[in-house]
Amino acid sequence: MEKNSQNKSGNIFPCGNTRREFVWEMGAGFSGLALTSLLSADGFFSKHIAASEPTLKNPLHPRNSNYFGKAKHCIFLMMNGGPSQVDTFDFKPELKKYANKTLPKNKKYINSGGRRVGYLTPNWRPFKPGGQSGLLISDYFPNVRNHADKIAVIKSCHADSHAHGSALVAMNTGSTFIGRPSLGSWSVYGLGTENQSLPGYVVMLDKRGGPISGQPNWSSGFMPSTFQGTLFRPSGNPILDLKGPTYIDSTAQREQLDLLAKLNQKHLNERPGGQELAARINSYELAYRMQSKTPEAVDLTKETKQTLEMYGVGREPTNEYGRNCLIARRLVERGVRFIQLYSGGGHLEDTWDGHESIEKNHGLHGSEVDQPIAALLTDLEQRGMLESTLVVWGGEFGRMPFSEGKNAPGRNHNPYGFCMWMAGGGVNGGMSYGETDEFGFEAVVNKAHVHDIHATILHLMGINHESLSYFHQGRKETLTDVHGRVIKDICS
Amino acid sequence: MITSRKLLLIFIIQLAVVNATPEPTIDFNRDIAQLISKRCLECHNQRDVKGNVNLTAAKEFRIGTENGKLALKLINEGKMPPESKGVSSKLPDEEIKLFTDWVLDGSPWPKGRVLDLYETTTDVRAGRDWWSLQPIKRPDPTNPRMNPIDSFIRQKLKDKSLTPAPQANRRTLVRRAYFDLIGLPPSPQETEQFLSDQSPNAWPKLINKLLASPRHGERWARYWLDLVRFAETDGYERDKIKKNIWRYRDWVIEALNNDMPYTQFVTEQLAGDELKDRTELSMVATGMIRAGTWNDEPNDPADYIYTRLEDMVHTTTSAFIGLTVKCARCHDHKFDPILQSDYYRIASFFWAGPIGQSNQGGPPTELLGPNIYGWTDLNAKPTPIRLLHQGERDKPGPEIKPGFLSSIPSLNKPLIAPPSGSKTTHRRLQFARWITHTDNPLTARVLVNRIWQHHFGEGLIRTPNNLGFKSDPPNNPKLLNWLAAEFMHPTFDNGPAWTIKRLHKLIMTSETYKQDSIHPNEKEFNLIDYPNRNWWKFPRRRLDSEALRDAMLSVSGKLNLKAGGPSFYPEMSNEALEGLSRKSGDWQTSTDYERSRRSIYMMTKRSRLLPLMTTFDFRDTTVSCGKRNVTTVAPQALALLNNHFVHTQSQAFANRLIKLTNNTIEQIQTAWDLAYSRKPSTEELSQALNHLRKQQAHFKQNQTNANSNPRQLALVSLCHVLLNANEFAYID
Repeated sequence: MEKNSQNKSGNIFPCGNTRREFVWEMGAGFSGLALTSLLSADGFFSKHIAASEPTLKNPLHPRNSNYFGKAKHCIFLMMNGGPSQVDTFDFKPELKKYANKTLPKNKKYINSGGRRVGYLTPNWRPFKPGGQSGLLISDYFPNVRNHADKIAVIKSCHADSHAHGSALVAMNTGSTFIGRPSLGSWSVYGLGTENQSLPGYVVMLDKRGGPISGQPNWSSGFMPSTFQGTLFRPSGNPILDLKGPTYIDSTAQREQLDLLAKLNQKHLNERPGGQELAARINSYELAYRMQSKTPEAVDLTKETKQTLEMYGVGREPTNEYGRNCLIARRLVERGVRFIQLYSGGGHLEDTWDGHESIEKNHGLHGSEVDQPIAALLTDLEQRGMLESTLVVWGGEFGRMPFSEGKNAPGRNHNPYGFCMWMAGGGVNGGMSYGETDEFGFEAVVNKAHVHDIHATILHLMGINHESLSYFHQGRKETLTDVHGRVIKDICS
Repeated sequence: MITSRKLLLIFIIQLAVVNATPEPTIDFNRDIAQLISKRCLECHNQRDVKGNVNLTAAKEFRIGTENGKLALKLINEGKMPPESKGVSSKLPDEEIKLFTDWVLDGSPWPKGRVLDLYETTTDVRAGRDWWSLQPIKRPDPTNPRMNPIDSFIRQKLKDKSLTPAPQANRRTLVRRAYFDLIGLPPSPQETEQFLSDQSPNAWPKLINKLLASPRHGERWARYWLDLVRFAETDGYERDKIKKNIWRYRDWVIEALNNDMPYTQFVTEQLAGDELKDRTELSMVATGMIRAGTWNDEPNDPADYIYTRLEDMVHTTTSAFIGLTVKCARCHDHKFDPILQSDYYRIASFFWAGPIGQSNQGGPPTELLGPNIYGWTDLNAKPTPIRLLHQGERDKPGPEIKPGFLSSIPSLNKPLIAPPSGSKTTHRRLQFARWITHTDNPLTARVLVNRIWQHHFGEGLIRTPNNLGFKSDPPNNPKLLNWLAAEFMHPTFDNGPAWTIKRLHKLIMTSETYKQDSIHPNEKEFNLIDYPNRNWWKFPRRRLDSEALRDAMLSVSGKLNLKAGGPSFYPEMSNEALEGLSRKSGDWQTSTDYERSRRSIYMMTKRSRLLPLMTTFDFRDTTVSCGKRNVTTVAPQALALLNNHFVHTQSQAFANRLIKLTNNTIEQIQTAWDLAYSRKPSTEELSQALNHLRKQQAHFKQNQTNANSNPRQLALVSLCHVLLNANEFAYID
């Protein structure tokens, strides 16, 4: 006998899939009408409502999570290139003892790029205790060290790839293969955003270039592009297509929009009930507002001299990252959900990819970001925003505890053990979690995979990583796939 | 022995005669088999024996559950089925009672009866009796005098107390047909030609003309390229160009223009290298297999082989047969009757090919010849492929012989060895023959559903890449089956089998297609069928990114109709290039003339897609896409208001008008004609004149450049507004 799923107790949403997931899979996307119509198909809305007053559901509409989570916003400080754990937040005194010896043979690893394998090398700059907790932080981050009591360092991170391209995509999307939605997309998909005149998910790149693999790092993958990251520039017109040719000034454009509204209204009148047409009319008014609101978000002229100085704006080497951190705070104030700030862009030494010399490389990049990050933490705290803003620091992987040859001062890629830290947004400060082995080579105690990091970030934002799913091609997809464990120890 | 059926019979007789409350009687097949299958078999079957318990046969059941007692205990304690994500999966009371009664009754199990996870459809998964796996039978249309499509549609409408919308006016129809078949608006002359043709066959004539246009393939190839995740670079760090893969794109366009039978279309893409009469072009067609992403620096190259196999299995099974076979890579499919071994059977078709890291993931040049970006086997006798437990390479399972999906029993035959002396395995060729076999229940259903979808915005099944358990059930299965049967075995006309153009014509000449997009009873019918699943009106549609861009070029007069050849590089603003690790790098913007070609010829570089396109829901380039998202968001308005490309087209549009006439009113009328295939109303005309006057005065007042012409700029402004209006973006 031929069977049809309609026979199955009349439910077209089998296996507990929510209607909403089903709707997304159906490709209804954001178009309010399509959403309403599909929901109404299942009696989700009363038929009366569906017919007379379709509810134009905006998927970016802010939603409160009904789950644990203090963070409403997340700022991800992406140290592109892979900072060295043993030189920053994971002190390994034993390395001094083992200096100029090789890593024991039983330690297996892929030698990324087939580079020269050298000798165990201690931290290039000294570590010192910070705050009351005495958390050890190196001299690459003297200012961040002042915030030690706000920071939870996860020393036992590990990842799936030794190559920048796929490792970075994994840190952003959970998979080493391109094509999946990024962490920011999941956040906005789950929580919407609070300011409809600004993108919900903003990415700011390093002036030296974008990250390897480019766009897939902030892509919404199989979700509608509504949830993708928007690249933001730190001055002038931060997003694409915000200004047309100069002769179309605001008066001329207003006149255009007025004519457009008239034409569209007539068109709509002839097509009664055309809600998708009405939605598009509204999108033009929103776009008009975005043209003024977006530049305002990056306009730092209203910031005090003291604030600018604190972030290191107007001075090298902190100007660029300082601006970006300050803009991030302004975006959080304006309700943006997820912000990612890249430190390092392009290739090799323009990023944290310290093959040639840790001291030179981390010395440069550290000096660019240390003061701005510290200022961001101070500023968020002073404004009472730190509790609702999760700050995440880390790269796509770490670096080897050994050099790239005799007396060579650089280190190669290491996905087997590295550190990240989080602060604010319900994080227990002044602590570290997990451990690497005595060399700082691989995570051994309380290992935290990239999926665990993602699960924890979502958890802090009030999202259960197993529940937030998107139905795609016959499968309930989640950020963490079938993996992921919330690191509860660092959550307050 | 009293069979359970006899018991049931007695039970019914008792009911009828005595009408007393009977003792509940348990039927093994009806009650217990379903219950065990639904609740237990996923983890306790012949292949997956969790806890060493197999519940598919009597003996194993008795051993594994201690004659049912252990099972009863665990079920009552809510320990089986195990909790899922912290939520108890304890069975509902009536199921526990049923099971308890049966166990207490001595758990009678019919002799020789072996349960099978996929034997029947339950409310948690599809069995082999799932509708889309059943043979396609041609239903008879209720009304033999109608186009059968209308007959099936009308029947459903009648059942729902709906009526079809009246026929759309001819201006609407000509616009609809042009955008639908060639993806471009009709010129004012073309519109006029149709409107003035009063002959009864004016409509089919128009359809024939458009189907014969080389522009047709350029429009419809796009849908196919989405399905096979086509793009012209590898993605990942170096995002290298797939040299000559544009020839595959041209092959698809040509195949559609030439109305290549779908059987051949499938076969050349899968096995154009294995054909006896293989040609250079049939080998170009195999570019489909390696059009996906390719990581030149995978973390573990030996693992990456399996990732590539999954890409190929997923792309081909999604595109050709609409099943999510890839879900069975690590375990038997959770929802559809697809065994894990089925996955490896399909994977084995690509196993003999260049799945490793050399040669940009392709065969050495000498195997296919120069200038071909395609696929072929590296040898005719590859090592056997092994099933991987949990999909992991370090957990190899049994060897899997190449084969087809076990859930289509009539075609479930072993593959034959390649002819002697063959350089390839002939597995892909046999895969193609299996897909295109007239007894394959999926292929034709999947294809006709796609064709319907692109004419109507939605398919008869609204999940075009999935006809399995998690699919959207067809609202009109008779129509789907009739179309599928008609596609393979033409009766309506004497057209050749498996050809797509006659399908277009069949659909477009139906009354269903010619309906208006507004219904006089709109409000009332919305109460009954808001999503229009019964097709009581024609669905209004927004242009997709390609059609929108092409329409702008067409209206502005800049459209360059050069067909085929290497792709052009669109202008990418510096801001858009900032996101690249190598910045401008290898982005060599093409000349203005090249850049005015149709969007299908635009370079698709995976790491740098043109923002104008992605804003308008250009698809994800990494996996097969059967249906694009349709979103309406403010960045789209920003793009159309401010993007350089749109302003360039507005300017060209205005210049085109100025060249045609110096009379302002005529300029306005022509503008409407070009953009909307109609004349402006009196009100619109005066609004446009008003706009020109205001803008001209404003531009004059703010003139900074003595060379600028306020009158001309005002006309540009008007043209720009017309390109932004809903009437431009939506087709009725």
